Parts: sequence; structure tokens; C-alpha cells
Amino acid sequence: MSDNTLILSKDQLLQAYRMMKTIREFEERVHVEFATGDLPGFVHLYAGEEAAGAGIMMHLRQEDYISSTHRGHGHCIAKGVDVKGMVAELYGRSSGTCHGKGGSMHIADLDIGMMGANGILGAGAPLTCGAALASKYKKDGSVGVSFLGDGASNAGNFLESLNLAAVWDLPAIFVVENNGYAQATSRDYAVAVDSYVDRALGFGMPGVTVDGTDFFAVYEAAGEIISRARDGGGPSLLECNMIRFYGHFEGDAQTYRGSDEVEKIRKNRDCLKKFVQQVTQVEALTQSDLEGIDQEIKTLIDEAFDEAQKAPRPTEADLLTDVYISY
Amino acid sequence: MKVGLVANPVAARDIRRVIANAACMPIADRANIVLRVMASLGSCGVSTVLMMPENGGIKRHLSRSLKHEKKLGHVDFPSLHYTDTPVNGSVEDTFAATQAMVQEGVDAIIVLGGDGTHRAVAKYCGKVSIAGISTGTNNAFPEQRESTITGLAVGLVVTRKIPPEIAVSQNKMLKVEKNEGEKSDIAIVDVTVTTEKFVGTRALWRSENFRELFVTYADPEVIGLSAIAGILRPVGRYEPFGLHVTLQSPEIAQTVIKVPIAPGMIKPVGVKNFEKISSQETIVLSTESGMIALDGEREIGFGPEDKVKVTLVQNAFKTIDVSACMQYAAKAGKLGA
Repeated sequence: MSDNTLILSKDQLLQAYRMMKTIREFEERVHVEFATGDLPGFVHLYAGEEAAGAGIMMHLRQEDYISSTHRGHGHCIAKGVDVKGMVAELYGRSSGTCHGKGGSMHIADLDIGMMGANGILGAGAPLTCGAALASKYKKDGSVGVSFLGDGASNAGNFLESLNLAAVWDLPAIFVVENNGYAQATSRDYAVAVDSYVDRALGFGMPGVTVDGTDFFAVYEAAGEIISRARDGGGPSLLECNMIRFYGHFEGDAQTYRGSDEVEKIRKNRDCLKKFVQQVTQVEALTQSDLEGIDQEIKTLIDEAFDEAQKAPRPTEADLLTDVYISY
Repeated sequence: MKVGLVANPVAARDIRRVIANAACMPIADRANIVLRVMASLGSCGVSTVLMMPENGGIKRHLSRSLKHEKKLGHVDFPSLHYTDTPVNGSVEDTFAATQAMVQEGVDAIIVLGGDGTHRAVAKYCGKVSIAGISTGTNNAFPEQRESTITGLAVGLVVTRKIPPEIAVSQNKMLKVEKNEGEKSDIAIVDVTVTTEKFVGTRALWRSENFRELFVTYADPEVIGLSAIAGILRPVGRYEPFGLHVTLQSPEIAQTVIKVPIAPGMIKPVGVKNFEKISSQETIVLSTESGMIALDGEREIGFGPEDKVKVTLVQNAFKTIDVSACMQYAAKAGKLGA
């Protein structure tokens, strides 16, 4: 058990807010820019889900590895991927994180432990097992964290990864970000075993469910789970019940949602609003502290989009670079 | 005859699965418990079960299983209906469903959950008696018993085969009030004051942060916060008083006791002193700031400027005494086929 007492320093609280607010501003801006038609490919926005990514990533070190999903912007930002590089990547520019060849669903930065967003559901889970196996061999105390959506939880690669992690006793954490919809299919329709914790139980590992819209609930649970994995306690599953503000992808008509559903969740279940209310109520942070960060982030996002739009695209000469790697 | 049924799909899902190896009852098992209760109720002649709707999977498993039972020719189940109440996946669902059941005139409410779920039902059940089945983490309030027996006892009670003076017990409750009505709530077993700042995962286990404890009753044979009082001075469910314990960090306390505060978790707890609290007695918290946990779950934050008081209330809500019912039924021949 960790000595995590939920007493975060002022700097840690500011760091958490900066993480969540950067993700929110990034995604809100992508939503606007995508509608202009200038952004190529598909984008899947993480707005509304920030507390889960931040609550977990606050416990991770650079040498810990994560694998992400098609909805990966939030995980990338929280793990420390350069925001300007990410925006340039979305625009397909050579200054992008992957030199403009990956786009939204393939942003990766191995130097900081980000193994990549992934367009294939559940495909990050075996990668995480690999990272966790490396950690176990090296005995360096690092962990692997796999983020998955509730839709991916039916995928064979996810279930096989749970088994592998349990059999090999890996320092792996599987985070099911349950926003209630697998693209347009509700969990009720598509998932036979309703509780993801029950699935963990079936593979002999502990599982925990938390309110994924409450940063402190995620932070506290993740602290215990990650600490357990680092100390040799094996794999665990964390289910974060959360909500997404936008559709499955930008352009999704969302006919499967109630007419006032989004309005209601923005009003009542916004994790950022909840965080601000919590920290100001106990006078851990002031509005002035938060407004200072808001301004910094606004400037960062404006600069990132401005620079990305002006950045050059890859040339023909770049076509065969970054394709193969020599070991 | 109509019986209400609240089955919490998210009880026993919190962090104590990781920090304390607490049990984790699968959804399918919870649905099976409901089926066993319904079989018992049906055998007693109960016609209708009115259940809380939820989206955690119990409803869906029940639906499948009842179809199977019908195909197999097992048709003695009461008809199953759901309250027309919203499903948000929070305790609000239990509040709303309980209120709807009372309005619908149910004769009793059966509860599947831990102390927290029973607290949520007790808050709104009014004069309707409840019968508890343990499916939570800390189960100080609901007794450990096979659900078939609980179902039989409730069935016998609501079909008037057991007199109320045998079947029904009165229970104590703790009322918590912040700033003269600004916020008020209840607990059925314990109120714990901790120096933690946030609700977080709700569960309590960092005993060094505990500062005060109030209990309606305390049993050294249970786990959870009330076990602290249970070890110091056991108090019966039906004794006309409770206990207030002042706590401090084990590092500075003169009295330190080992307490099973969660399944598989025995922690040192520092005790400063304890005193009986009598019916209707009100005590103002002496802790400057922190969180108040109701039946083991962090719920209400308070600061130095807030005045929070706790009052012990007698005869607050009614429960069905399953043991007394079954003993009476056996002696009086109420289970004859």
C-alpha cells in the first residue's frame, strides 16, 4: 500500500489542473478547426474525460510506458508529449510528433514512454504487456498502463492480454475508460458481462471502479494500483466511469444520444468544473492561481495552431524515411 | 402482497479490492441472489416484486434468467416490475427508488448491498420495514445469511403469518447536520470524522487520520469503523444509547488498539477517550476541518467556519428480524406445505 494520503502539494494540484485544462483547450480547438475542413483524417476528442487521464498520469514517471486508443490526445498531453508537435501532427506537417506521417490516431513518443495512440481497438493492451515484461526483466520498478474504451473490452486481444498479464504476473494496469458508448453501440446492447471488474476477477486480478469524472477518486485509486504494480503486486484493472462531451468522432451525428444528454453532462458532470470547485472550496488553490494557468494555456494553444498551419508538409524525399527501423 | 427490492450493482467495487483483498461479488451472482429471494417470496404467496432499475447488469441477467426459468417450467416467481425512477448510476437512484416503493405501498423492502446501500434505503423507507442481504464490503448492518432464508422470512411477514411484534425491530440512527440545516444526512451504523480533504474513492482506511467516531451500535465481531467502538465498549443494536469515541494518531495516542477496519486489514487506531451518547443527545464535532464519512464512505466536507453536530435518534426505522421470524415460523408450524 502506498503512503498516498490525497494530500497533494499546491504545485501538484496546479500540475493536475494544467494537464486537464490543456487537454480541454486542445480538444475544444480541434473541434473548431476540424469543422473548417483543414484537418485531415479522423479525430476522436477526449473532452469531458480529462480527470481519468490526469488522475492516472500524475503517478507515472517518464520511464513508465502507456498505450493509448483512437481517442488518444488526452493521454498524449498528460504523459508529456509536446503540444505543438501534436497539433502539427494532426495537420500532417513535418514538424509533427511523427513528422506528419501518423496523424491523430498514431501519435507516439517513445522517449517519454508514449507507445502510441492506436486505431485498432484493444491493440494497445498487448503492447503494454510487452512493456511490463521488459520492466519485470529489468527490475526497474516501471509499469505499463493500457488505456482502453469500453468497446475494446470485448476484443480478443484485450482479453488475451489480461490473461497474459496475470499468468506472467506483470506490472501492468488496464484502464477501461467507460464512457457508455462503443462508437454508437451502448454497453447494454453489446457487453454480456456488464462489469469490467467482473472480467478482471475472471482472470484472477483485482479490479476497481471509480467515478472517472472525479480527479481525486481516480488519483487515489490509481496511486494504490500503480504502487502495487511497482512493488511486485501484479496487474490490476481500473474502470473509470466517465462521459464524453463530443461524438465518437468529429462529424458523428450522435443520433443514439438523448436530445439534452450532452447539455446535462456538461452542466452536471464536467470533471474540470468539479475539480475547480473541490480545490477552491478547501482553499487549496485560488481562482487567481487557475486564471494564470488558463492564460498560459490559451497562448500555448494559439501558438501551436498558428505554427502548425504555417509549417511545411513532408516532401516526396520523406516518403521512405521513418518507415523501417534497424535494431 | 408487494415487496420492494433494491440491489446495488456497484456495491463492493471500490479500492478495497486492491488495498485489502476485499470480496467482489460478480453481477451474475447478485442477480442469482435476487432470483433466490424471488423464489422464496413466491413460495409464500407474494404476488409482486417492485425493483430498483439500474444499468449495472442485474436487471439484464434477471430478465434472461426469468425467461429460462419460465421455459423450464418454474413459474412460481412473483411478477417483477421496476420503479419508474431515473438511473444515474449513483446513490440518487436508491433514494428515488425507495421513495417510489413507499409511495407504491410495498409491504417490505429487501436490500442487497453493504452498509452504504442500507443507509440509502433507511433514509427514505419511512415506516416500511427493510430486510438486509450482505453484498457489500463492510457489512456491519446486514447480517450474513443465505438470501433464500431472508426471502422466506420476508414472505412470511408480508403474508401476515408472523405477527409484527415478533417480526419487526426498531433501529437507531445518527443524524448529521451542518450549519443548522445547510446540509443534513444520516448514518445507520457509524459516523467517522477524518482529516482527509476530499471524497476521493470514498472508502476509509488511513487510520492515522481518524479523529472522531460515533456509533449506533458496536460489535467486536464485525469489520469496519464501528469495530473501533466494538473493541472498546460493545453496544447492542437495541440498547438505548450509542458511543462517541475521540481518536488521534496512533503515534501520539496512549491507547492504541488493533482494529479490522476493512476485510483483511487490521490497523492500529489511536484512542483518546470514549463516552456513551444517549437518545436525542447532540454532540458538536470538535475536529477543526476534514471529511465526515457516513457508514464508511466519505460524504461531507467541513472547514473551521462550519458547525457540525451529530444526534442519536431512537426508533428511527424498522427492520425485519429474520432470525426471530424463522424461529417463530418453525415453532408455530408456519412453513407447513
